[in-house]
Amino acid sequence: MPELRKDPILGRWIIIARERGKRPTDFIIEDVETKGGFCPLCPGNEKTTPPEVLVYGREPGMPPNSSSWRLRVVPNKYPALVIEGDLDKQGEGLYDRMNGIGAHEVIVESPSHDDRFAYLPHEQMILTFRAFQERIRDLAKDPRFRYVMVFKNFGKAAGASLEHSHSQLVALPVVPRMVVSELDGSLSYFKYKDRCIFCDIIRQEMQQNVRLVCENDEFVTLTPFAPRTPFEMWIMPRRHDSSYIEQADHTLSSLTDIFSETLRRLDACIPGIPYNFVLHTQPLRSSPLEHYHWHFEIVPKVTSIAGFEWGSGFYINPMPPEDACRYLREVEL
Amino acid sequence: MAEKKILLVDDEEGIQLLYREEFEDEGFSVTSAYNGEEALKLFREDPPDLVILDINMPGMNGIEVLRQMKEMKPDLPVILSSAYQEYKQDFGTWASEEYIVKSANMDELKAAVHKYLDD
Repeated sequence: MPELRKDPILGRWIIIARERGKRPTDFIIEDVETKGGFCPLCPGNEKTTPPEVLVYGREPGMPPNSSSWRLRVVPNKYPALVIEGDLDKQGEGLYDRMNGIGAHEVIVESPSHDDRFAYLPHEQMILTFRAFQERIRDLAKDPRFRYVMVFKNFGKAAGASLEHSHSQLVALPVVPRMVVSELDGSLSYFKYKDRCIFCDIIRQEMQQNVRLVCENDEFVTLTPFAPRTPFEMWIMPRRHDSSYIEQADHTLSSLTDIFSETLRRLDACIPGIPYNFVLHTQPLRSSPLEHYHWHFEIVPKVTSIAGFEWGSGFYINPMPPEDACRYLREVEL
Repeated sequence: MAEKKILLVDDEEGIQLLYREEFEDEGFSVTSAYNGEEALKLFREDPPDLVILDINMPGMNGIEVLRQMKEMKPDLPVILSSAYQEYKQDFGTWASEEYIVKSANMDELKAAVHKYLDD
């Protein structure tokens, strides 16, 4: 029997198409030929990128934009939004518009072209999480921006146009609809229960232990109750906090550990699986929110979205999250 | 002084005629290629001083052509010229010196060519 499940935060319904009985081996991942050759993100090609806005690990005495680095953040060379100018918000009848102002940056996560994020050593991966914090803090100083969306595309099917391991962030003059929906949904729950819904989810999932993939002292990885795709996972801090940028370095260290384990479990289940991840955190310059809880969402790209899905907002998922969790927990690393 | 050589890569005959006329009037020598394979062959045999490269072409697309050209000659300037903005989302375009959206006004393209070819 197929099942409809409701996301308790967003109020979004999804369909679990249970009788399709998928196993990890049933998800065919297209073999993507690695291109090799010239890569604009590799050391030695810094002049093909805009000047860096952040760098870690440059050897002392080496000039800016030289090839000695462990992590590098550069603006998008051909951005969809521009950083210069005013918002010039206007109404046109019932419609709203403003200038396309924003900042779009690329975080080059490793100097090595062939490194994959999931398998970076701890001391390299944590640099990415520190870079996210540092760039969000810097962009928060710009009063034009209301939100910074941090995301990663891994694999061609998930939108990655280059193999060299990288993630991105976009600073926006608006809070994205998806985040607004989470904020609204969690506030509604808070007004009703006087508790954070994310904290309640963590508590219940740990108690039920059927969608808990892995955990450490500061984080849990869950397959959510109403997942959009097979093997969708959320990484959530156990301790309530609405702001990613307020996290101390020991928390980023724990985050690195669980992120590494989570992605390696995913890759062990379906080798080479393309995925996206996003960071959801409170809007810029916001006071701490009792009702909201920062977290990462990892969404593998193994099913396609067609007319029914995008027209209705319903997702059809052939893999119950409990089954996905079992596969992820039981896989050998 | 020898004329600077432009390799113009575009599958559209109309673009080839227009650009050739404009840039020959500016004192450049223009060689044409109508697809990626032809472009790479010409690039190897008689390297130009600059490439103007379309993206959306049959067979090998311009971003792959760009990648291979930069593998051979990383310092040779390549200007991407496309009717479409959306290829900007492909980070492979970063290997180019400029990405110019095609329009009836060629001033931006001409300025870019002069930027890289004028002594």
